[in-house]
Amino acid sequence: MIYGQLLIGLINGSFYALLSLGLSIILGLLNIINFTHGALYMMGAFAAWLLLAHAGIGYWPALVLAPLIVGLFGMVLERLLLSRVYRLEHLYGLLLTLGLATVIEGLFLNEFSAIGRPYPIPRALTGVWQLGFMTLPIYRAWVIAASVTVCAATWLVIERTKLGAYLRAGTENPALVGVFGINVPRMVTITFGFGAALAGLAGVLAAPIYQVTPLMGGNIITVVFAVVVIGGMGSIAGSILTGFIVGLIEGLTKSFYPEASSLAVFILMAVVLLIRPTGLFGRATTLTSNAGASSHAPPVLSGPAKAYLMPALVMTTFLLVAPAMLYPAFLMKALCFSLFALSLNLLLGFVGLGSFGHAMFLGTAGYITGYTAKAWGWPPEAAIAAGIGMSMLLGAVVGFLSIRRQKIYFAMITLALGELVYFFFLQIPFSGGEDGLSPVPRGRLLGVLNLENDITLYYLILALFLAGFFLVFRAVHSPFGQALKAIRENEPRAISLGYDTDRIKLVAFILSAGVAGLAGALKVFVFHIVSLPDVFHSTSGDVILMVLAGGVGTIFGPVVGAFLIVGMQQYLAPLGTWVMVVEGAVFALCVLSFRQGLVGQMAKILGRPL
Amino acid sequence: MDEPAVVLHVLELHAYYGESHILHGMDFRVHEGEVVALLGRNGAGKTTTLKSIVGLVSKRRGSIALRNNELIGRKSFEIARLGVAYCPEERGIFASLTVKENLTLPPVTNPGGLSAAAVFELFPNLAERQHSQGTKLSGGEQQMLAIGRMLVSGARLLLIDEPTEGLAPVIVAQILTILQRLRDQGYTIVLVEQNLRFLSSLADRSYIVEGGRVVDVFDAARFAANIPKVESYLGI
Repeated sequence: MIYGQLLIGLINGSFYALLSLGLSIILGLLNIINFTHGALYMMGAFAAWLLLAHAGIGYWPALVLAPLIVGLFGMVLERLLLSRVYRLEHLYGLLLTLGLATVIEGLFLNEFSAIGRPYPIPRALTGVWQLGFMTLPIYRAWVIAASVTVCAATWLVIERTKLGAYLRAGTENPALVGVFGINVPRMVTITFGFGAALAGLAGVLAAPIYQVTPLMGGNIITVVFAVVVIGGMGSIAGSILTGFIVGLIEGLTKSFYPEASSLAVFILMAVVLLIRPTGLFGRATTLTSNAGASSHAPPVLSGPAKAYLMPALVMTTFLLVAPAMLYPAFLMKALCFSLFALSLNLLLGFVGLGSFGHAMFLGTAGYITGYTAKAWGWPPEAAIAAGIGMSMLLGAVVGFLSIRRQKIYFAMITLALGELVYFFFLQIPFSGGEDGLSPVPRGRLLGVLNLENDITLYYLILALFLAGFFLVFRAVHSPFGQALKAIRENEPRAISLGYDTDRIKLVAFILSAGVAGLAGALKVFVFHIVSLPDVFHSTSGDVILMVLAGGVGTIFGPVVGAFLIVGMQQYLAPLGTWVMVVEGAVFALCVLSFRQGLVGQMAKILGRPL
Repeated sequence: MDEPAVVLHVLELHAYYGESHILHGMDFRVHEGEVVALLGRNGAGKTTTLKSIVGLVSKRRGSIALRNNELIGRKSFEIARLGVAYCPEERGIFASLTVKENLTLPPVTNPGGLSAAAVFELFPNLAERQHSQGTKLSGGEQQMLAIGRMLVSGARLLLIDEPTEGLAPVIVAQILTILQRLRDQGYTIVLVEQNLRFLSSLADRSYIVEGGRVVDVFDAARFAANIPKVESYLGI
């Protein structure tokens, strides 16, 4: 029994190792966390499946052809799109690849639907070996052997050859390597292609074991991110070893405490972050400032608080009369997401912290509010307070763990912790699992106002939205907000001026979690339900898109962005899975050529802060 | 005797870091086999001039002619392949590479590049440490490694930024000997340097850089006679 689970662990570890190896190489040279890595893995599996189904080309040729195809695709992707964001802050690379991954997965979902497709084990590798203490399917042994061999060969090439020396030098100082006569852009393209090919190879190896489905990449990528965080940056051997270790630990957990097996990786990550923030094999990274050559977010006009009075009045007036023109359900949803986007913008726009797991606060507050209102019959005001309280508590824990690392690492850690929370709610009985928690009664506010009336609920949400908006606005336009901006611009300098930046960031993080919690708590009453999508990473992606489309670091941008994206989702809903493709494309376009967002652009045209 | 050919001709060079305008019309020329120094206070634009030549500063205008090739508009790696080697002020030794890997990193782009063995002959103490991590060397050894590395690609024009900075006098003397030997072997060298004594026995010509342009020039003979004037330019 335990051997069987260890074997499964080793198999999973084989895939983690191949994927995290490619991810680390790309991260090192390109400074991009490649969100498309899961999609490339899925494409590798599909390439093998398509070659077999349509061209009759079998496993062995596919083992070479599929990685080649995926590698070439990766090189095109890098040349055409990724190369445009290298000069920007590294977070944009992550955002761009997130958008691209969504597009790719959306396209495959449209074409192939979510149905799993079996892929036969090649004849030479069918059957099992009887080892006495266990039965070893030959194909599984082959996967482990292939992965170990490819990882070891890659390690040798990187650490012991001239080609590897270029790569290592390029990871340290690409500009200087260029001065020595090496065509760095071409090296970057080839490296990305190689990383993509590794992902494609993993996909082919996986095809006979797992079902080939468009979702297979999205499922594995967050685990691989956690593996990269656990292993630490900057060590090729470290990322390989960590891949196998994590697989084994997962297997062990499965045999002793199966319920926690999907959580194990993320718990391990949290523990490692507590003890060794740089990861098991990582080197310490130094604090860097955003000042100087590396251009970050486009400059945002800001002004005295009273400059925002007019637009705020316009917004409030519009929202007051809006129910006469638009569906209250749409408006309420948009307002909830506006609050959610405001909370993210507080971190992303004003502290420079890109949280990629923000849905955990929305969802946690939602579940607590929903449960206390439904199971315990708490009145809405108490249920909302409980939800916000819990999300702030979670914010304190997550913030404590994640603010130790900066930028893209921060993004990966928050994403992985978000997955931890997701799996927690998937497993815990009170959440209702896949079905969610419903119906949640709206109840009577303070025992008086009947919230079952949409209009009453709308005005309650509007009032709380305005309160949340004002809270974020006050936080940003205060000495505390100035300290936040100082951290965003140049953290080392803020530290040298005597600011306890970790504490300030933590306070901002908890505040943000609280506002996101308010959004989640209110959302439950709007829809009478809280379910897994509320804590899922796609919701974290949605809210980033809202902030990006509206204008990162602007005051009104998140609200405009939320209305825009919620409206788009509503309008495009009949298109089914195409929504995903459109959303991903909008995402990528925003990153590539519309980084100021709608409100940022308007502010520039009007020459005034918005 | 004919004057040797002009190898490098910088004309009306302007360079920018983002919004800030650093070079305001640099003008100087370097002949085949010459050692030319750029002198000036901190922030005068000497380092930026070297970086502009090798393409590390992308926003530049004017002209940088290497023999018949205009360098403005070319990428760093293309410039390197025309036979230019560059050693940055911080020496640019890679921590993740061994001494030997550091040394042999530049691809041979022109005939006449030295082999690792030839460089080790020039710098015997590097040979002993060829398998150590590059950044584990002492400052002087790192500088020698950096100079040795300029010779492997076959480049004949060497741009060296402050080779004596922070080094002990005995090491400075060694580096002087090496650079003199390179000069005798016909390499063309452009140096950024602050050490006047070092320059007086090495440079054929010294340009004084101030506010992003050349404000004065001394050939070797005038240089020795005008040390006080040079010192006043440097504010020493």
